[in-house]
Amino acid sequence: MLRFVVVRLSQSLVALAILSVVVFILARATGDPLSMVLPMSATEEDYANARAYLGLDRSYLEQYVSFVGRAAIGDFGTSIRARRPVSELIRERLPNSFKLAAFAMGVSVAMAFPLGILAAVKKGTAIDRGAQIVSILGQSLPTFWLAIVLVEFVAGRLQWLPAVGDGTLASYVLPGFTLGWFVVAGMMRLLRSSMLEVLDSEYVKLARVKGVIEPRVVWLHALKNALIPVVTFAGIYFSILVTTAIVVETVFAWPGLGRLAYEGITGRDFPVIQAVVLVTAAIVAVVNLGVDCLYAVIDPRIRVAR
Amino acid sequence: MATRVLGGPDSPDAGAALGGVGGHVVARPRRMKWPYVPLGIIAVFVLAGALAPFLSLPDPQAQSLRTKLRPPVWEERGSWANPLGTDRLGRDMLARMVWGSRVSLAAGVVTVLLASAFGAAVGLVAGYYGGRVDGALMRMTDATLSFPIILLALILAVTVGPSFTNVVLAIAVILWARYARVIRGQVLTLMELDFIAQARIAGAGGWRIITRHLLPNTFNTLVVLVTLQIGYVIIVEASLSFLGAGIPPPTPAWGSMIAEGRDFVTSAWWVSFLPGIAILLVVLAFNLLGDWLRDTLDPKLRQL
Amino acid sequence: MKRAIQVFALLLLVLGVAVTPSVAQGKTDLVIGFAGLAQETLDPPVAGHFNKYYLALLYDYLVGTTNDGTLSPKGGIATKWENSADYKRWTFTLRRDARFHNGDPVTAEDVKFSIERNIGKRSTTGYAGPLRTLIATIETPAPDRVVIVTKEPTLIIPTYLSRALSSEGMVTPKKYIESVGDEAFARKPVGSGPYKFVEHVSGSHIKLEAFANHWRTGTPKYKTITFRIVPEETTRIALLRRGEVDVTDISRERVKELEREGYPMHFRKEDAVVSMWTVLDPNGGWPAPMKDKRVREAMNLAIDRTEVAQAIFGGHALPAAIPLGLSWSFKEIGLRVTPEMAYPHDVARAKKLLADAGHPNGFPLDVYAFLLPGFPEGKAFAEAIAGYWEKVGIKPKLIPVDYAAFRKNWVDRKAPGATGYFNIANRNWVGAYALLEKMAYTPSKPNDTAADPEIDGMIKQVMSQTDQAKINALMRNIFTRLRSEHLGYPIVYLHSPYASSKALASWNPGTVMYDFFFDELAATK
Repeated sequence: MLRFVVVRLSQSLVALAILSVVVFILARATGDPLSMVLPMSATEEDYANARAYLGLDRSYLEQYVSFVGRAAIGDFGTSIRARRPVSELIRERLPNSFKLAAFAMGVSVAMAFPLGILAAVKKGTAIDRGAQIVSILGQSLPTFWLAIVLVEFVAGRLQWLPAVGDGTLASYVLPGFTLGWFVVAGMMRLLRSSMLEVLDSEYVKLARVKGVIEPRVVWLHALKNALIPVVTFAGIYFSILVTTAIVVETVFAWPGLGRLAYEGITGRDFPVIQAVVLVTAAIVAVVNLGVDCLYAVIDPRIRVAR
Repeated sequence: MATRVLGGPDSPDAGAALGGVGGHVVARPRRMKWPYVPLGIIAVFVLAGALAPFLSLPDPQAQSLRTKLRPPVWEERGSWANPLGTDRLGRDMLARMVWGSRVSLAAGVVTVLLASAFGAAVGLVAGYYGGRVDGALMRMTDATLSFPIILLALILAVTVGPSFTNVVLAIAVILWARYARVIRGQVLTLMELDFIAQARIAGAGGWRIITRHLLPNTFNTLVVLVTLQIGYVIIVEASLSFLGAGIPPPTPAWGSMIAEGRDFVTSAWWVSFLPGIAILLVVLAFNLLGDWLRDTLDPKLRQL
Repeated sequence: MKRAIQVFALLLLVLGVAVTPSVAQGKTDLVIGFAGLAQETLDPPVAGHFNKYYLALLYDYLVGTTNDGTLSPKGGIATKWENSADYKRWTFTLRRDARFHNGDPVTAEDVKFSIERNIGKRSTTGYAGPLRTLIATIETPAPDRVVIVTKEPTLIIPTYLSRALSSEGMVTPKKYIESVGDEAFARKPVGSGPYKFVEHVSGSHIKLEAFANHWRTGTPKYKTITFRIVPEETTRIALLRRGEVDVTDISRERVKELEREGYPMHFRKEDAVVSMWTVLDPNGGWPAPMKDKRVREAMNLAIDRTEVAQAIFGGHALPAAIPLGLSWSFKEIGLRVTPEMAYPHDVARAKKLLADAGHPNGFPLDVYAFLLPGFPEGKAFAEAIAGYWEKVGIKPKLIPVDYAAFRKNWVDRKAPGATGYFNIANRNWVGAYALLEKMAYTPSKPNDTAADPEIDGMIKQVMSQTDQAKINALMRNIFTRLRSEHLGYPIVYLHSPYASSKALASWNPGTVMYDFFFDELAATK
C-alpha cells in the first residue's frame, strides 16, 4: 500500500513538472502583461523600468528556474496586476472555492439520492423516465444561463435568496445549486444501477418468495453498495467543481480560484496563471490519489497497477 | 466466472465487482423499444442544419439596427418577417437558429470524434502493452485530465484569438483523456479473457490483436461515450462564449447567441431562450440516446 | 422511500429557515457595486487613475477640484498656489488642519515625499513620465509651504497634481511609509482623506470607514463605504433591487428597464468619446488605402451615427464630429463645434469618394472587435460599423479579440490598415493635451494614430507655451485639423448611466475623469 502511494506520488510529481513547463510557455504566449498595467501614455523607458522591477527582463531559462525553485516552497511570485504575492491571493480565494464545491456536492447528493432511488423503485415507469430527465436536465442547460435566470428571478425579483456570497448559508444555495445540478445525472445513474442490482438479487428474490420483505435491510444493503462508487464519483467531481467553477463565480460574484484564473489570463498575469494551473493540477492529483487509495483499501480485489 | 482484473474506480466493471449479492451481474431484459423521441429531435436539428443553405432564410449575419430586438411573431410587436424575432443587431433569430444548428452540432461532433479517436488509441495501447508504457501514458492522461478545459480555451482565445478551430482544439486536447481512461479499463478486463491469450498463442502481433480483437469489443463503450459527450461539448462552448472564448461573432452558434442575449433575460427573453431551448433539446436527446445505447448494447456500462 | 422524502423535506426546511433576510442597508452604510475595481490597488503610484473613485476617499489631493473639474482651493491640501514670473517655480500654501488617519499632521515634507514617490520608478500612473521630465526639484521652505521647481516654464503643474487628472497629487504619509515599507503600506494604506481603510478582500470588496471631522466633508454621513466587485450585470441589478447595493453601473441597454421601476438614473454625460482609428504602418505613415484623404472621409460618411447612438447605445450617446475630440475641454479652449462639422450619413457620396480615390470596388479592411470597461457594447458596436462600411463597398473582416491582443497589434504596428477604437475618458484641456501628445504626435511612435506633420508642429508648440490664450488657439487648431483632414473616425460620445437606490436621487457624479465624488455624497458640511 505504501509503495503504491509513493509510486503514484512520484509519478504525479513528474506530471506536475511537465505541466510546469507547459504552463510556463503557455502563460508567456498570452502576451505582454505590461500593456495592461501601464497607462496608455507610458514610454519605452517606463516599460523598461517596469520590466526590470518585475523581473521580466531576465532570460526565459532564468525566469523558469526561479519560478520552479520558488514554487517548490510555495512561493508563486508576485502578481503583476495586483502587486501582491500570488500565494497570498490563492490563500484568500481557494477556501471560497472549496466551500462552494463542498456545498454543491451536498446539493448533488441531496438531489441524486431521492431521484436515483425513486427511479430504481419505479423502474420502467414514467416516474423513472421523469427522474432521469430531471437529472439530465442539469447537464443540458448552459451553466451561466441557469445562473443568470436564478439571479434575476429568485434573487432579484422574488428576493427569496441572496444574489451574491455574503457569508450566510443562504448565499450558498443558488451558486451551489447551479454548480451541483451538473453532477446529479452521473450520480443518480450510479445509484439507480446499484439499487436495481440489489432489488434484482437472489437475496431479495428469495425474501420475496418467502413473503418476508425487510425494507430496512434491503435499503441499507443497497446504499452500502452504492456508497463506494458514489464516493469515487464525488471525489473526482469535487476537484472538477473546485477548479472549473469560473462561470458560477462570475455570475454570483464569488471570489474563488476560477475568477482568479480568469483575471490572470485576461490580464496576462503570468505568475497567477502558472500558480493557478499548478495548484489545480495538484488538487486533482491529490484527490484522485485519495480516491484510488480508498478504493484499493475497501476492495482488495482491485489491482490498480500491473 | 473468470476473476476479473479491474482497472480502477473509473473502469466500467468497478461497480459490477462490488455490487450484487451473488457476485455476478444479472442480465436485464433488453429494451427493444427504439428511442423515437431523442432520435426525432436530433434528426430535426441535423436536417435543419444540413438544409440551411437551401431553405430560403434571411442572411443570419445581416444586421438591421432599426429592427433590433423585435419579439417573435406571436407577441405584440412581432411580425412574420422575423417569425422568431431578432437579436440586438436586428439579425433574424430563425435564420440564426437554423445556421447555428450547423455550427454547434459540427463543433460537438468534430470535437468528440477527434477526442475519441486519439483517446481510444491511447487507451488501447496502454491497456494492451501495460507496464511502463501503461504507466507513462496513464500519467500523461492524468496530467491532461487535471487541466481545466475552460482555462485552456481561455488561454488559447487570449493568445491566438477565439475561433471555431480553437474551441474544438481546446476541448479535444483535454477530452481525449477521459476516453483513454475508460477504454484502458475495458481493455484490461478484456486482456484477461481467454480469446486474447489464444490469439497470442496463435502468433498474432500487437497491432492485430488491438485492431481485430480489442477495438471491436470496446466499440460499444466508445459509441456510448461519444453520444453522451456531444451534448457536453455544446454546453462547454456555450460557457466559453460567456467568457469570451467561444465561437466568435458574427458566426451564429447557439452558445454565443445565448451569451449575447444574457442582459435581456427579461426584456428580450427570446434572444437567449430560443437557442437555450435548442441546446436543451439537443443535449437532452443525445443524453437519452446515449443512455438507451448503453442499456441496449451493454448494460454493464453503468459507470458511464 | 417515505423516509428518504422526509429527510429531503427536512433538509429543505432547514435551508429555508437558514435563509436570513438580507441585512437591511441602514442609511449609515453605502455600498457601491461595480463590475470591477481594475487592479484593486490601494497605493497611489501603483493605481493610476482607474481607481480614483475610492482612492480620492482615502487620500487628499494636493490640489482639489469641484465636481466639474475646476481647480479649487477648498478641495485639496493646497489652499493657494502661485507661479513665479518665469513660470518655473510653483509655490503651494498648505492648510494646517489636515491629519493622517494615524494622527500625524500633513506637512510639506509629506507632500514632497508623496510627489517624488508617485512619479518614481515604481510608478505606473498616467502622468508620471511627463512630470518626471518636467520637475527639477521640490523644496520645502516651511512646514506649510511647498515649492516645485520645473526645468521648463509650464502652466500645468497644479492641474497635473490635482484631482482633475490622475493620482500623482495624492498625499501619503512619509514617516509611516518609511517605517513600514512599500509592501506593507500597499496592504494597509494610511491617508488623510475622509475615509480610512478597513479591509480589502481580493476579488470581493474594499471597505472604508469614516474618519471623523474631516476638513473636506465634516464627519461623513456614512459610517462605512464598501466597493463590491460584481462582474455580472444581472447580478448587480438584483442586488440593487434587494437593497444590498446603493449605486451600480449599468449598461445603456438596461436603463429603460430600471427607469420604469423607479430607480434614479445618474448620467455622466459625454463621459467618453468612442473614436476609431487606423493602425499605422511600421514606419509611422498611413497604409495604402487610408493614405488618401478621400478614403478616410468616405469611411466617415458611411456611418449613420444617429442610428448607432439610438440602436447600439439606446439613445444614450451623441454623434461625435471630431476625432479624439475630448469635449470636456472644448469650453476651456473656446472651441465651438458647429453643425457643419458634424458628419452626415451619405452613402452615395462615400461611394463616389471611394471611386474617385481609385477604389470603386472597395478594399479589404480588418476591423478589430473587443470589449472594454464601460463599453460592453464593444463587439456589437464594431460589428455595426463594419456593416456600414460593407454597405459602401468596403470588405470588412471582423476580428474579435480582447483589448490586450488588439493593443499589441496596434502598438507594434503588426496590423497596418486595420481599425481599432477606444472609449476615451473625457477630460479637461490639460488631460486632452496629454492624450493628443500620445495619440496624435508622431514622435510618440507606438500610440500615434494621426501621422500629420502639421499637427506634430502644433503639439510641440503647446509644450513650451506659457500664454494660455496662445495655448487655446493651438488646441483649437489641432482639433479642427483633426476633423478637416479626417485623421480618425469619431463615432459617438457616450453617456454613462449609474443607477442608485431611491434615497440617493440627488447624487451628482460630476464630470471629472474616473471620479464619482462619493465624498460629496457623504459630506455633512
